[in-house]
Amino acid sequence: MRRATLVAAVSFGAATLAALGLFVVYIAGGQPQVEGALLFVALAGLGAGLMVWATRLMPGIGQVTQARRHAPPPPEEKEAAAEAMAGGVEEMSRRRLLFRLLLGAAGALGLAAIFPVRSLGRAPGASLFRTEWRAGQRLVDVDGNLVTRDTLDVDSFTTVFPEDAVGSGDSQAVLIRVASGSLQLPADRLVGAPDGYVAYSKICTHAGCALALYLAEVHQLRCPCHQSTFDVLNGARPVYGPAARPLPQLPIQIDPDGTMRALSDFTAPVGPSFWDLPP
Amino acid sequence: MIVRRWVEGVDERLDGSSFISRNLRKVFPDHWAFMLGEIALYSFLLLVLTGTFLSFFYLASHQPVTYAGPYQPLQGQTVSAAYDSVMRLSFEVRAGLVMRQMHHWAALVFMAAIIAHLIRVFFTGAFRKPREISWLIGIGLFLSGIGAGFTGYSLPDDALSGAGLRIAYSIILSIPFVGTWLAYLFFGGEFPGPDILNRLLVLHIFIIPLAIFTLLGAHLAVVWHQTHTQFRAPGRTEDTVTGTPVWPKFALKSIGLAFTTFGVIALLGGLFQVNPIWLYGPFVPYSTASPSQPDYYIGWLEGLLRLWPNWEFHVFGHTIGELLLPGLVVPGLVFTILALWPFLEARLSGDHEWHHFAQHPREAPVRSAFGAAGVAFFVVLVLAGGNDVVAKFLGIEVDSFNTILRLALVLGPILSGLVTYWICRDLRDRPLHPLAAPPSVTFRRNAAGGFDEIETEPPVAGHATEEPDRR
Amino acid sequence: MSAVAGSETAVRRRILRYGLLLAVAGQILWSFRPAPGRALTAQEAAGRALYEANCSTCHGLQAEGSGSGPSLHGVGPAAVDFMLSTGRMPLADPAAQPIRQPPRFDPQEIAAIVAYLTAIAPGGPGIPEVDPQAGALPRGAQVFLNNCSGCHGAGAIGDSVGGGQIAPSLYASSARQIGEAVRFGPGVMPKFATADLSEQDLNSIARYVLWIRDHGDRGGLQLGRVGAVAEGFVAVVIGLGLLLVVIRLTGSKT
Repeated sequence: MRRATLVAAVSFGAATLAALGLFVVYIAGGQPQVEGALLFVALAGLGAGLMVWATRLMPGIGQVTQARRHAPPPPEEKEAAAEAMAGGVEEMSRRRLLFRLLLGAAGALGLAAIFPVRSLGRAPGASLFRTEWRAGQRLVDVDGNLVTRDTLDVDSFTTVFPEDAVGSGDSQAVLIRVASGSLQLPADRLVGAPDGYVAYSKICTHAGCALALYLAEVHQLRCPCHQSTFDVLNGARPVYGPAARPLPQLPIQIDPDGTMRALSDFTAPVGPSFWDLPP
Repeated sequence: MIVRRWVEGVDERLDGSSFISRNLRKVFPDHWAFMLGEIALYSFLLLVLTGTFLSFFYLASHQPVTYAGPYQPLQGQTVSAAYDSVMRLSFEVRAGLVMRQMHHWAALVFMAAIIAHLIRVFFTGAFRKPREISWLIGIGLFLSGIGAGFTGYSLPDDALSGAGLRIAYSIILSIPFVGTWLAYLFFGGEFPGPDILNRLLVLHIFIIPLAIFTLLGAHLAVVWHQTHTQFRAPGRTEDTVTGTPVWPKFALKSIGLAFTTFGVIALLGGLFQVNPIWLYGPFVPYSTASPSQPDYYIGWLEGLLRLWPNWEFHVFGHTIGELLLPGLVVPGLVFTILALWPFLEARLSGDHEWHHFAQHPREAPVRSAFGAAGVAFFVVLVLAGGNDVVAKFLGIEVDSFNTILRLALVLGPILSGLVTYWICRDLRDRPLHPLAAPPSVTFRRNAAGGFDEIETEPPVAGHATEEPDRR
Repeated sequence: MSAVAGSETAVRRRILRYGLLLAVAGQILWSFRPAPGRALTAQEAAGRALYEANCSTCHGLQAEGSGSGPSLHGVGPAAVDFMLSTGRMPLADPAAQPIRQPPRFDPQEIAAIVAYLTAIAPGGPGIPEVDPQAGALPRGAQVFLNNCSGCHGAGAIGDSVGGGQIAPSLYASSARQIGEAVRFGPGVMPKFATADLSEQDLNSIARYVLWIRDHGDRGGLQLGRVGAVAEGFVAVVIGLGLLLVVIRLTGSKT
C-alpha cells in the first residue's frame, strides 16, 4: 500500500515536472523529440498515477455482483412492440390514394436530388479516350525542353509531354531508346518507333500509377505500386503482375533537326480499364 | 458539500428512482482483454484533439504556390497550397510536427485497437445474441476508421497521397455501367480532379467523424444498456454481472488508461518519424516512388491488388477491368461475411439463445477455426501489400515471394484453421485447460487440533460439459 | 633427414624462389609490351598486371569477354571505376550477382586498371567530374524524385525491383560513384546521357543524396525510411504492444 502510494505520487510529480518542462521547450523554440518525450511523461505519468490509485489504493471497493436486468422480453411484450409499429403503418396505408401520392412525392424529390449531385463533376464524355497529344505536337521533357535524338543513349529513358501540356496527367509518356532493330512490333506500329526510339503511355493500365521503374537490361517497365511489368521490345505487353492490357504506344517521328513529334494520339485509351473501353 | 447538492438536483429532475446512483454504481467486468475497445475510444479522442489543431492550419487547395519555408530541398519548388500548409505545420508551426505525427500514430493505434477488439469479441463469442447490434455497429466503426484513415492519408497532397488517390480513382473507374461517372463526380473530373482535396477534407473532418461519433455513441449506449459479457467463474451466473463499480474505481482506472494511451501515442509521435512528406515530395502525376505503401489497415487491400491475377473480362463490347474483383467485390464479400457472422453462426449452430457468458476460444472450435483462418488471410495480405519491402528485408526475391504469398493466401487460412480446430477441440475435451491450476487443496486447523482438507474450485472453469459446442 | 636430401630441398627452394621472381619480373616486363599503336605508360602497365591477374579469367586477356564475363569494349571508364571502387568487381563467383563490398584495390590500382582498359578497350562514358557543392539542393530533390525514386525510393534506401534485382541503398555511395552509375547504368539500371541530365543536374542529385543521409529526419527515428510497412509494425508492436502490457497489468485475469 505504501509502495503504491509512493508510485502514484512519483507519477503525478513526474507528470507535473514534464508538463512544466513543455513550457520551457516551447518558449525555447520547440523540438519535436523533446516535446514528444515530455508529453509522454506528462500524460503517461498522469495515467499511471490514476491507474495505480484505482487498482491498488482502493481496497474498500472490491468486486460487486449485480443483477443484469437484461433478459429476453416475454413474447407478449415483443408482440406489443411490433403491433405499435405495424399499427401505425396500417393506419397510414388505409388512405391508399394519399399514401401513394406521398410515396410519389418522396420519389420525385429523391430524383430531384440527382441534380446537385450532377454538379459535382464534369461529364466524362470522350475524355478517357483521348489525351493532349495531336499529330505534330513536339516532345518535351518535364522542364519543357525539346527532346531530341541526342537526349537519350541506348538503354536510357525519359518522361515526355506534348509541348502544349507539360506535366499533364493523362498525356505523360515514357520515351525509351533501345538498340535499333531490336523492337519486335507489327509493321504499322514500328513506323512510329524510328531508330529504336519508342514511346509508351507512362500510366499503368492496372491502377494508373506512373511507371517510374525501367529495368534497362531486360527492357521492362515496372510499376512501383503493384509490380505490373511490361515488355518494352514487344509492344509493352504485360509479362508479370496484375495488369492485363499492354501500354498504349505513342507513334513518333524524328525530324531532320533531331527533334521528335507525335504522329497521332496514343494507339489506345490510356490508363486503367473502364466499362466503356472496347475489348 | 456542493457536489452532493448538484447531484441531488440533477437526479431529482432526471429520474425519481435514483438515476444517478444506479448508473454510478453500475459494475463493469474488468477483464484485461475487455479494455481493447477503450484503447480505440481514447485513440479516437486524441485523433479529434490533434486533428482539430491540424485543421486550423491545413488548406485544402490545389492552387500552386512556391515553397519558401525552411526545408532547403524544396525551396523555390512549385507545390500545392495543401502540401505547403502541411510543410508549414511540420517545420514552422511550433509543436506542429509533434501534433501531426501524434495524429498519424493515433490513427495507426486506433485501427490496431479496433482490429484487436474485433478479434477479441469474435473469439470469445461476445457477439452472440443479444449483442448482434453492437457487432454490426462495430463493423460500421471499423469501416469508418478505414475511410477516415484513407481520406487523411490523401490530404497532404504528397507523392504517396497522390498514388493512393490514383488507385482509388482507378478502382471506382472499374465499376460496371456507372464507374466513369462516379469517378468524375467524386473527383470533379478526370484524375487528378480539380476539387478532390476539398471534398476529402469535408469527408475527413466532418462527415466521417460525425459517423464515428454517432456509431460510437450507439455502441457505448448499447453496451451500457445490455451490460458486458464475462467469462465463467465461480459465483457468476447468466443473470448477474460481477465487476468494479463505475464510480470511482472503474472511472479512475479508465481515465488513467486514457492518459496512458495519449502518452504512448505522444511517445511515438515524438520519437518515431511518420509519413515524412518532405522526403516524398509534392504529388506529381508522372512520378511514383518505390516503395509506395498505404497504411497497414489498407495494406491488406493493397495486398489483394498485388496478388490478384490479371483477369480482365469482356461482356457485350464492354470491359470489366482487373480492379473490380480485388478492389471492390472481394473486400465487399469479406465485410459482408464479417458483418453477418453472428447470424450465420446462429443459423449454422441452431443456437438462438441469449448468452451473457463470453466463451474461451476452445469452447467453440469451429468458430475459432474460422477466426484463425480470417486472421491468417489478413496477415498474408498485409505482407503482400508490402511485398517489395518485406522481400528486401528478408533478402529474398520479390517475384518468388509473391508466389509464396499466393500459396500462403490459399493454404495459410486452411492450415491455421485446421490446426486451431484441432487444438481447440483437444483442449475442450480435456477436463481442464492445461495451464490452469488443478483443484487445489488447502488445510485448515480444526477445533480438535487436526487438519481439515478443503478442496477449492479451479480458478478457470473450462468444462466442456457446461456448454457443449453445438456444431 | 640426410644431408643430401636437405641440400636438395634447399636447392629446389632456391630454384622456386628465383623462378617466381623471374616470372613476376617477366610478367611486369611483358606488361610493357606495346598496346596496339603505342607503348604503354607505367600506369597502364601496372594496370595490365592487375587486370591480367584479377580480371582476365572472365573478361579475357584483350577484354574481349568470355563465357563467364562480358566484353569490356565500350563500357567506359565510369563503369570500370564504379565496379571496382564499390567492390562489385572482381567477383569470386562469376555466377553471383555483384553487390557492394569493400573494394579489393586501392584508388591508385583502380586508376591503373581504368587507364589500361581505356587503352585497350576504348569508348563508353568517362568518369564524370561530380562536384556536389556546385549543385543546388532543390534541383537535386526534384530530379531525384522524378528520375531515381522510382527504384531507389524517396529516401534513397533502395527497394526490390523485380527480376531478382535490388535497387541498392545510396547511403554508401560517393558523389563520383553516383555520377558514374547515372552515366553508364550498372546492371538493370538505365543510363542517363548529358543531354538528358546535365552535369549541373548530376551535381545537384549528388548533393541531394549526400544531404538526405543525415538530414530530413526532423520527425525522429527514420525507421529505415521504408514508409508505411515499418510504421505499421511500430504502431502494432510498440504502440498497441505497450498498451496491451498496461491493460494486462491493470485488468483482472478472470
